[in-house]
Amino acid sequence: MIGLALGGLLRKKGRNTLTMLGVFIGVFALTMIISLGQGLMEVITGTVSGDDNLRQISLLPGFGIKQNDKPEEITIEGEMSERRRERLRRAAIARSQLRQTASGQSLRLTEDSFTELRKLPHVQSIKPLIIKRYQVDFDGHHSDGTQTFGIDYARRHPEQRVIAGRYPSANDAEEVLVHEYLLYTWGYVTEQQAASVVGKTLKISSVKGSGDDNPFQMAEMTPQDLQAAFKDMKLSEEELAAALTLSRRLPEILAKLRGGEQRKSVAIKRELKIVGVMRESEAGDRFNLLEDGQSTQADLFFPEGLADKLLRESAGGGELTYQRALVMVDDPANAEDVEQKLRDKGYTAFSVATVLKRLESSLTVVTVILSFLTGIALIVATLGIVNTMITSVIERTREIGVWKAVGATNTQVQLVFLIESALIGLIGGLLGLGIAALAMLPGDIIARNLIAQRTSFPYEGSVFIMPIWLQLTGPALGTMVAVLAAIYPARRASRVDPVTALRHD
Amino acid sequence: MALVNIIDVWREYRMGGSEPVAALRGATLAIEAGEFTCLLGKSGSGKSTLMNLIGGLDRPTRGSIEVDGRELSKMSARELSFYRREKIGFVFQSFNLVGSMRAWENVSLPLVFAGVSRTERKKRAEEMLERVGLARRHDHKPTQLSGGEQQRVAFARALISHPTILLGDEPTGNLDSATSEQIMALMVEENRRGTTIIMVTHDPELAERYASRTVRMADGTVVGDVRRDLVLAKDAK
Repeated sequence: MIGLALGGLLRKKGRNTLTMLGVFIGVFALTMIISLGQGLMEVITGTVSGDDNLRQISLLPGFGIKQNDKPEEITIEGEMSERRRERLRRAAIARSQLRQTASGQSLRLTEDSFTELRKLPHVQSIKPLIIKRYQVDFDGHHSDGTQTFGIDYARRHPEQRVIAGRYPSANDAEEVLVHEYLLYTWGYVTEQQAASVVGKTLKISSVKGSGDDNPFQMAEMTPQDLQAAFKDMKLSEEELAAALTLSRRLPEILAKLRGGEQRKSVAIKRELKIVGVMRESEAGDRFNLLEDGQSTQADLFFPEGLADKLLRESAGGGELTYQRALVMVDDPANAEDVEQKLRDKGYTAFSVATVLKRLESSLTVVTVILSFLTGIALIVATLGIVNTMITSVIERTREIGVWKAVGATNTQVQLVFLIESALIGLIGGLLGLGIAALAMLPGDIIARNLIAQRTSFPYEGSVFIMPIWLQLTGPALGTMVAVLAAIYPARRASRVDPVTALRHD
Repeated sequence: MALVNIIDVWREYRMGGSEPVAALRGATLAIEAGEFTCLLGKSGSGKSTLMNLIGGLDRPTRGSIEVDGRELSKMSARELSFYRREKIGFVFQSFNLVGSMRAWENVSLPLVFAGVSRTERKKRAEEMLERVGLARRHDHKPTQLSGGEQQRVAFARALISHPTILLGDEPTGNLDSATSEQIMALMVEENRRGTTIIMVTHDPELAERYASRTVRMADGTVVGDVRRDLVLAKDAK
């Protein structure tokens, strides 16, 4: 019977090939899209799933709590027109989305807040990330506002990137790693030149008037500056004197009003020993988005202990506030939960796990939609098969009559055409799968180039992934679609009246 | 009891919703096992219709056809297929070979639907082709064969399942007289092996020369029935 079906296929090679191409195109496009969806998912998860990425949450100072997170629950009571009710409801929603805290003050990251947050369930550790700008002087080179980063000394993550010299010897050692790019801008072009700085000393000093060091810069203004500032206001002598006194104490007053203590700022000057040169990250490096990812603009790397010590000194014994901290949870599954708790408390928090989840679901939606669109190609192919098979049945009417005369049952007649069509679908499906597999090679090269050109994260894997289930789906889908398409033509074949079909003309 | 028992069989066709046209109007006929019967009659006499009914290709509008003790009109479509497969062999005027198949494949077609393996099919088909004198032609396509050869292939196909009844619908109608002789000789030979033969023809001479019985048909009924054991006796010498 398979032989009969094959015979039918081979008789009209051209027509059947064209029909099969329809299936081929459908399966090819579908396989490409799904495998791209799978591959991109893998690119994303593969990039972030290692190295505790999914257990980390970035914690930032907060702007308070949203009054109402469920705008759909806001209702406007009272007798009024529906139009007015709708207006008021929208106004209420807009106002409900204002972030507010009880004290009207933003939530800062302090050691006290860390102590409190460490008590949250599933929180394993919280540590501040210390990113700070210093002026740097080295060997006649000067650099304003060089970003420095406190590396997690114990984790030794950045050690893999030390290309000359060594990793700092202790967490609070007055030692520094210099990024190869800073050295390059200073004229240390070759690797040998870069390596030559190891063992030398560089100077760091506080950046003058930097916002993050001294939020109340007026404290540093001279009486002359203030007088000049007030000159245009045409103040009386008493008013001017009062204003000068007031403005001198303004930082203190403002700090009081905000409920905090005035931060003092102490200038820092330090000589640090360069112990190593750090290279830019490369594909394959262990890389943490929320931690190492924060250091992509840093030129100097301190051990964490040293960074903290410098920060405390510059605070001059006042309360320390941090710009950013890293929360580590016990299990990736709890990251979203903890992130929400931090937000509920009014902090700004985000985790790779949550972003990943959103990305995954939107990628899935896009893949599904595209697959449906591609499915249209398969539907068109199906119509082609129906057409081809009906033609085949009509052409073979006499032959079908012969089959029946020699004892073929209706089921057997149907089966011949179902098999014939299934073969068209199967071959088309296999071809689609095969060509898709081949097309992935150039596809990968293009995709990798795009990634390399546009991001600072190199990628060496494949952006297409064809799991076994997908390899089976293509040909199976082609076959299934073809069999479905052949149901009507096959029934038609089985209804051929042998007497009419065999009549001598 | 006769092998084929046809009792008051009617076959009407409905053409485009108008009054039905009757091809058979109460035909009654009994055929014994081993007979060589010719159905003789003009075009439209109902002889082909009767033959199609005996072969299970068609069903009577009313009346009863019993073959080998089984009532055909009561069989399901599937049972009729098995009946054709096991009991009946057909030979047609226009041969009805499958053009894309080689001779042996055409011969073995009935075995395909009987689920016989390819090797076995080929073996049996070649045996049959040898019997009809086409042993060297088994790989030829129908277009590469002469009319007589094609009909011999069709003959081999009809006999490959060892049917009880061989039905011929003007099997020599498309052949010249010499080739017709060959085919008729094969028919007679098959009849001697015990196969019941029912052949439709409009050629009285052919019926007279080869058949043991001639049934005349006109207007959908049997109008004459002559048994001639003589013919067989003469041929048997």
